[in-house]
This record gives sequence, structure tokens and C-alpha cells, in this order.
Amino acid sequence: MTILKKNPAIIWRVERQREAEAKQALAAGDDPGERGTVLLIESGTMHQLNLIGGTIWQLLDGTRSLADIVAELAAEYDAPNTELVADVEAFTTDLLQRGWLLHD
Amino acid sequence: MTEFTDLFSAPLTFNWTLSYRCNFSCRHCYSREEAAEELSTADIFRMVDTLAEKQVPFINFGGGEPLVRDDLFEVASYATGKGLNVSMNSNGWLLDLAAAKKLKAAGFKSVGISIDSADAALHDDFRCMPGAFERAVGALDALRSVGLRTTMSAVISRINYKHFRDILDLARQHGVAQVYLHNFKCSGRGFKNREELDLSPAEWKAFYIEALAVQNSTTDINISFDDPVIASLPGYAENPLVKGSSCGKLSLHLKPNGDITPCGFIPLVVGNLLHDDFDTVWQTSPILVRMRNKEAKGKCGDCGSFESCLGGCTARAFATTGDFNEPDPHCWK
Repeated sequence: MTILKKNPAIIWRVERQREAEAKQALAAGDDPGERGTVLLIESGTMHQLNLIGGTIWQLLDGTRSLADIVAELAAEYDAPNTELVADVEAFTTDLLQRGWLLHD
Repeated sequence: MTEFTDLFSAPLTFNWTLSYRCNFSCRHCYSREEAAEELSTADIFRMVDTLAEKQVPFINFGGGEPLVRDDLFEVASYATGKGLNVSMNSNGWLLDLAAAKKLKAAGFKSVGISIDSADAALHDDFRCMPGAFERAVGALDALRSVGLRTTMSAVISRINYKHFRDILDLARQHGVAQVYLHNFKCSGRGFKNREELDLSPAEWKAFYIEALAVQNSTTDINISFDDPVIASLPGYAENPLVKGSSCGKLSLHLKPNGDITPCGFIPLVVGNLLHDDFDTVWQTSPILVRMRNKEAKGKCGDCGSFESCLGGCTARAFATTGDFNEPDPHCWK
């Protein structure tokens, strides 16, 4: 069971208004777009995560396994399980390589 | 007009002038002739509470000289306890080993020291303070010895623009992590002395082309510029979150009395952090809205770079013309 946590050196903030707007767009059947819903600041450089990335980021709290996260996403988003698994694996692999996530 | 549609919920940084008092009298200082009531520690704590509630991640104390306030360590400790990332800029005069230990204990993430030239006599002359260079370098070493990350700031002007590599070498010698080569602002004494100190647009262009090349080939030290006028130059790739000036989009400035201005170089008060609702100020201030939605005036009107630079530094345009939308006087196009 893989449990990951955020690198504490990463400073981040949820952009609630943008997150709500992206979720509204999704609920209406529209594309939520790539607009950042979570801001990350790493070594003075700022990055943004889109809705799905931002949601995964918030769930990566050092207690949930990747399977737990997929299950929570499945409850929130209407997407095939295989797609969610692939999204979570790709996202966490990328962030591990960047050093933004750490193995618990 | 370039409409700004990506407003964040709050700034990422508050540049906070706790006091305009300073033990130096520098020739380029934007704030030396400013005056404002200073708040009590309790009121400062209330403002920190607001910033923490709004999830502003960074505050950077400037001045004036932050260390002239006796409660600086207490304020910083309170802010770090609230989850804020605290840094400051100092001239280094009051920053001995004991002060460095107190800054470390207060939770400062980094401390910047202003050094305008690697030539000690030139720095002292510019800062109008004999011995300033020695104390500034001593401050860097004291901070390093207690394990605090250090940065160095130099305001680029006529005295140093041909010798910026020497400033970088000085930073290397003292273990500095990041060097800020600040653009010259036409504010306060910087406005009064701009004929003597400021570069011509052609000189700015030549400086930035050279400095960007050095930045792109340097790996052992971070070099930063915060000047939107360079957005059209090859090799520029900083600050992708917003175009143009970041003031009023990613950052705001706090005066000693709690008044909020877009940046330290624009003397227009948009609200007060103690007395006004911050969300309302941030989202609806007519001044901030105008700064975020600049219109191309003058030579910007038919310039292909406007979409990248948005007219350059809004503070400089405002200081010299009284109009946010006029072109940055440093622009070489």
C-alpha cells in the first residue's frame, strides 16, 4: 500500500473561488479547463494545479493510500475507475520525481 | 485593454513597512522622507491574524529599517506561529551575531541584506554611512553562521550597473542563496536623484541583455529581476503567473499605520488592513482594478510587446507621468 505525503517545504494554497467555479463547470457538463485551483510555491517558483490535480494534492495527506484517493475521486467525479487510477498514478509519479511528494 | 481575469483569492506576498525610521540616509531611498504613525504590537498582531486568515503565505518586512522596531522578533515569531513565511530586508548595520540568533529563533525563513556595490567605499558613499559595507558583510556572515538563508539586494543604478558581476562574486564569497538585482524606482529620493542615478533606456536594455545571459548561464546562485519591462527580451522566463507588474496582482504593500498600497513605490492608499474589509479592498479597489486592466497608451499602443510587458513598471510610469497607462520610462522600444 503506497502512502505519500506532501513535501513540507512546498507552500500551497487552495483557491476556493476558482475551485468552486471549476466544479460548477464540470457539473454543468463543461470543461473545467486548466485554470489553477491550487497554488504551489517551490523554491520561489509558483505553480498551479488544475481541478483534478488540485483535488488529488489536497487528498495526499500522509494517511490515505493511492487506492483511497482513487475511491474518493470516484465518489466525486463521474469518470471510469481505470481513468482515475491512471490519473493518480501519473500525477503522483510526476510529483515524486519533482520532489514535491515524499514516501511516508 | 488587456483584461485581467485571473485574480487570486489574496496576494501571495505582503511587503510590510513596519517603520519608516532608518539609521541610514541612502541616495536612492523611496521611503526616507515618508512618515506614518506606527502601530502597537497588539494592532500588528491583529493584522497578522487577518493575513493568516486570508492565507497570505509570505510577508517580507522592509522599511525603513525593520530592526529599529524593538518588537520585530516578537512580531515575526507571532507570524510564523500563524503559519506565515517571514523574511525581511535590512541594511545589516544592527545585525550582529546576537541579532542573527534572535532572527533565527523568531522563525525567519530568510533575511536579505542590501549591498549596492562590491566596492566598500562606493557602497558606503551611496548609503551615506561610513562602515556600512563592513557591517553588511558581517551581517551576511552572522546569518550564515546561525543557519539562516541569506539573500542580497542591489538596486541597479549608475554606480553599479557595469559591475554587477562583482556583486554576484561577493554573494558567492558569503554563501548567499539569491541575489536580487532590483530595478531603479523613481520614488522618494530615487525620484529626486534620478537624473544622477538612473540609466537611460538604452543602458537598461544593454544591462538586461547582459544580466539575463549571466542569469541563464549561472547555476550556483539564483539571480532575480522583478522588472516587467524586460519581458520582451530573449531569455526572459520569470513569473509566469501574471504579466506586467505583479503589484496588486500577486503582492501588496503595508505602511506602518496599516494602510495598504499597491506597492511601496505607489503612494496611493487602497484601504487599511485594520479598519477595512480586506476581501472588498482586494477585489474591488478602483485603483487595483485599474492597475490590473491597463490600457496601452502612447508608444505602447502599437507595440507588439505590450501583451507581454503590459507597459512595464506601473509604479515608474505613475511616478513620472501620474498615469498608470503611460509607458514605463525605462522602456527602450
